[in-house]
Amino acid sequence: MTNMLTRRDFLRGTTAALIGTAVGGPGHAQTQDAAPRSRVILIRHADAVGVDSSFNAPVIAGMLDDAVTRLFDETDPVKAFARFAGPADIVGVKTNVWSYLPTPPEVEAAIRRRLLDAGVKEENIAFDDHTVRTNPVFQKSTIIINVRPLRTHYLAGVSGCIKNYIMFAPSQEALHPDSCSDLAANFFLPQVKGKNRLNILCALTPQFHGRGPHHFSRRYVWSYKGLIVGQDPVAVDSIGLRLIMAKRRIELGKAQELPPVPKHIQLADTRHHLGTSDPARIELIKLGWTEGILV
Amino acid sequence: MPDFSRLIPVRVGDWTAAGKDAVYDRKSLYDYMDGGAEVYLAFDFRQVFVRKYAGPGGKEISLDIYDMGSPAEAYGIFSCDREDPSVGIGQDSTYGFGLLRLRQGPYFMVVMSPDEGKDIDAAVLAVGKAVLPHLGPPGPNPPLLDLLPPDGLKTGRTSYFHSEINLNNRFFVASENIFRLGKTTECVFAEYGTGKEGEANLLLVAYRDAAGARTAFDSFLAAYLPEGKTTGLAKTEEGKWTFVRTNGRFVAVVFDAPSAKRAETLQAAILYPKR
Repeated sequence: MTNMLTRRDFLRGTTAALIGTAVGGPGHAQTQDAAPRSRVILIRHADAVGVDSSFNAPVIAGMLDDAVTRLFDETDPVKAFARFAGPADIVGVKTNVWSYLPTPPEVEAAIRRRLLDAGVKEENIAFDDHTVRTNPVFQKSTIIINVRPLRTHYLAGVSGCIKNYIMFAPSQEALHPDSCSDLAANFFLPQVKGKNRLNILCALTPQFHGRGPHHFSRRYVWSYKGLIVGQDPVAVDSIGLRLIMAKRRIELGKAQELPPVPKHIQLADTRHHLGTSDPARIELIKLGWTEGILV
Repeated sequence: MPDFSRLIPVRVGDWTAAGKDAVYDRKSLYDYMDGGAEVYLAFDFRQVFVRKYAGPGGKEISLDIYDMGSPAEAYGIFSCDREDPSVGIGQDSTYGFGLLRLRQGPYFMVVMSPDEGKDIDAAVLAVGKAVLPHLGPPGPNPPLLDLLPPDGLKTGRTSYFHSEINLNNRFFVASENIFRLGKTTECVFAEYGTGKEGEANLLLVAYRDAAGARTAFDSFLAAYLPEGKTTGLAKTEEGKWTFVRTNGRFVAVVFDAPSAKRAETLQAAILYPKR
């Protein structure tokens, strides 16, 4: 059961509490003091995106290295990647190919480089989106890496790492009702269960608004120049949502702070127990450029 | 749906059709759009014709023509996300920042560029004008709109829809379906303007029968306005008034009225059919 959110919660100014701190229900945060926390790295670099919106490959590769190294408290990025991938692994990297805002090739290249450095064989690495269910590497995969851009979504509120696995579902249609509330179920499909090792939410140029379904305008993306990285997709998406809400509050006003309520993030925690959406249980580590950080 | 692939010019100014045209129906719409399909399926959507145009500098324009089954349904999908000013093409249209939205008869059309600029403005509008002659005559609005009080109604801000998906994108009320909306319900959401009486919003929902309306009325009161249990009227957190009433198979809610009197006046002015 989700905590119902109403317009009156907005008016009371308790939205953030209901979506964030109190997502697990009243008192949830207070009862979790001893529980392990999910580490999320937010890393930004002023040169990650050029004035012409081009992506700076070396800078982005360095950001990913620094984020993953810090995530695993390792001394270098190769050791960090080796914590979850090695010569015996078959790795599916779930990307997103939405034409207007796909997973940047520069991020994909950085992932590939470090997987190879960690000893994964070239032929055992595949990047895919729409055909993951039939892709031979994904079918045999031992681990999956989740990487996609952050954007708003007309039904789900936010498209993030949780939503990115919808392509593993036998029926996408079945997952869309009730604001896509049960998207986290995809992480428990046989092809996916227990394999998700790393979630990279690309906030290089996030989209914070759309005018109707299926709409994209460069007016509603901004050069945030960040990556949000973690092992817990729920915690990663919770930070992404917080960022989108902050940007919408600035650009669209308090009344439009929230896109359609992203129930699926809260329910990924409270119904599916995939991870945590409770800020009290998220260790957010911020690295790099801080101007306009918003969260 | 007519053979738009044959009817619509492949060249409009400096822009030329690129790639293969496509048509999607209710079953295949998910193949075309991620997450937007439900919004169309909540209406009586039949098919969509899709074409891309390529233009100078590698820029792209997309053209979507949705057959919504009836003029009322086309009005509905058109009315739900109006943000831009009217542009005067076809029965109803808006344009802003590379996005043309238009309805004509049973058709809803979207011409979109991710880019902006005077060249984009001209090209997007030119594509829209090139398609318009092939969409047939205008059609009537949903009859439910006739129940709205005319005084102070903000033209161009009324939305017609069926499901909570549309309500929550238009005017967020609750994260659960507390109005029990679905394919058989009809809703209008209207904004009332400035003037001396002040602004207010009106949601009017038509259910299949009075029992459905009563169930929704009780659900809304319990979930949203418990302090209005006896009167249906309450002052909410921002100091404005919410007033819910049921009348036969209808439920009407006034949101954000500046006074209890304004909420009552607006409720009393709804043009319910005589029973």
